[in-house]
Amino acid sequence: MPVGADLVLHQEPNPENVRNDGPALGRVIERTARRWNTPLAIPLMDLRLEKIDLLARIGVSARNADAYHFAAPLDDATLAALCDQQATSSCPGSTARDEALQYIASIPGLIPVGMAIGPFSLVTRLMADPISAAAMAGRGQTPDDSDDVRLLFQCLQIAEAAVHRSVRSQIAHCARAIMVCEPAANTSFISPRQLKSGSSIFERLVMEPNLRLKAVLDQGACDLIFHDCGELIDPMVQAFAHRLHPVILSLGGSRKLWEDARLVPGDVVLYGNLPTKSFYSDGAMPLEEVVRRTRELLANMKACGHPHILGSECDVLFVPEARDTILKKVDAMMAVTAPADPLLKADS
Amino acid sequence: MAQNQDLYDAILNGNAKKAHAATEAALAAGVLPMALIQESMVPAMDEVGRLFECEEYFVPELLLAGRAMKGALELLKPLLAAAGQKMAVRVVIGTVKGDLHDIGKNIVASMLEGSGFEVIDLGTDVSPENFVAAVVDRKPHVVCMSALLTVTMPAMKLTIDALKTAGLRTQVKVLIGGAPVTSQYAREIGADGYSENANSAVGLVKNLLAGEAA
Repeated sequence: MPVGADLVLHQEPNPENVRNDGPALGRVIERTARRWNTPLAIPLMDLRLEKIDLLARIGVSARNADAYHFAAPLDDATLAALCDQQATSSCPGSTARDEALQYIASIPGLIPVGMAIGPFSLVTRLMADPISAAAMAGRGQTPDDSDDVRLLFQCLQIAEAAVHRSVRSQIAHCARAIMVCEPAANTSFISPRQLKSGSSIFERLVMEPNLRLKAVLDQGACDLIFHDCGELIDPMVQAFAHRLHPVILSLGGSRKLWEDARLVPGDVVLYGNLPTKSFYSDGAMPLEEVVRRTRELLANMKACGHPHILGSECDVLFVPEARDTILKKVDAMMAVTAPADPLLKADS
Repeated sequence: MAQNQDLYDAILNGNAKKAHAATEAALAAGVLPMALIQESMVPAMDEVGRLFECEEYFVPELLLAGRAMKGALELLKPLLAAAGQKMAVRVVIGTVKGDLHDIGKNIVASMLEGSGFEVIDLGTDVSPENFVAAVVDRKPHVVCMSALLTVTMPAMKLTIDALKTAGLRTQVKVLIGGAPVTSQYAREIGADGYSENANSAVGLVKNLLAGEAA
């Protein structure tokens, strides 16, 4: 199954209205699951929602939220307002996301899956230059040494609070699993050179917040689906798989899942990871190459014996003028798993 | 002229405070600004690029080195201007219309600046009209466009088309980059080049301009 709700959403006459209409969004998610024959009702991967809801607490409008960055360390009052766990009104997109979960929960045979940005990835959207701040922290600079480092850890604090509010709301609206997306937890933001020299920055910025998030999910009897399509090194994959212990681990197209299987416990299902970001282009990714890669992936996963769900490397976004091209390739990818496929016939 | 080892090391290690201090000390000792750039700063950034290519350095190290270089350059710019000297190559950079992602663009801008180019950063969500206006007003040698989303990539083509319509396309080299962008796509839309990371963007700019000069 692809993470394909956005493609299906754009079959609607007015997709932007549907984003903010819970039942209508629920029907889109239901159709997405039916189209690709899966019980997992994966919603839109809209990673803007937590930031919009967070910044609304200090009066930043949804229109301005995407481009908003904190430029200086926060004062105590602002920090307290942003960290307060008391629920406040959510933006229309978050409300629709939650209502769509309830809609899906009412349909037998479908599993309502929630969606949330990971704490660290939200941090990277709250600062203009999170990489330098993380790198300075990784070198041992403290909040007392640098305003950038102080802001980094303040942003982590408010990001965690925002994500906890989001997942609690989704759990309250019947989510049985939540896909936590941490695409920024990668080697562009966290230096492998620093990790090699003993820095704890990956622990402090990525693992510790996500372990606390996992505890919130566990308390709500909600499964974790962990997604990270960034460039990773093996210890990162191992940490996600063994210590977060998600039910499903979704990785980007740069990883070879059959090689990653040795890094992942046998009860963690690997998901992915066809390079769907390039499906828009017939030059970069012809249909025949999609089929070849799908067969290669399936054959290798079968050979290594690790549980696997065929899917996309990330959400498959609608692209104007390329929708049919993308859909054709997603359908071709999924068709490889159909019983008529010669590869599976030969294996059976 | 000789390499200023303190400045070179400070940039290589991404230590902005030491780079600033070493630059001040060198200027106080009478070293010419352009000599510092050519003998110490650019070689340091070249070495940073080499270390990145061989995967000893990663993006965080690139950024810290760029930051150290930029801080040192800020000390030199007024002196260069007063002496009537300027950076040889001017680059306009921005994230295309509809796209608010700026981290990748900022890294490329930082590396270009760190490599001695004058960089005019138009920010994010830059319309084709604003790219055209920047080319008219600032007369850059190169235009760099970034897009992180497949949805916003078509704005790259619209910008190139706008440059053609304005009769400016032959005056500038156009480079594109971003997660979903490919060299194939660059060819399809008529860009001069595609870079998959900040370091190779610097090399690409140098190669394109060298080719033009040849």
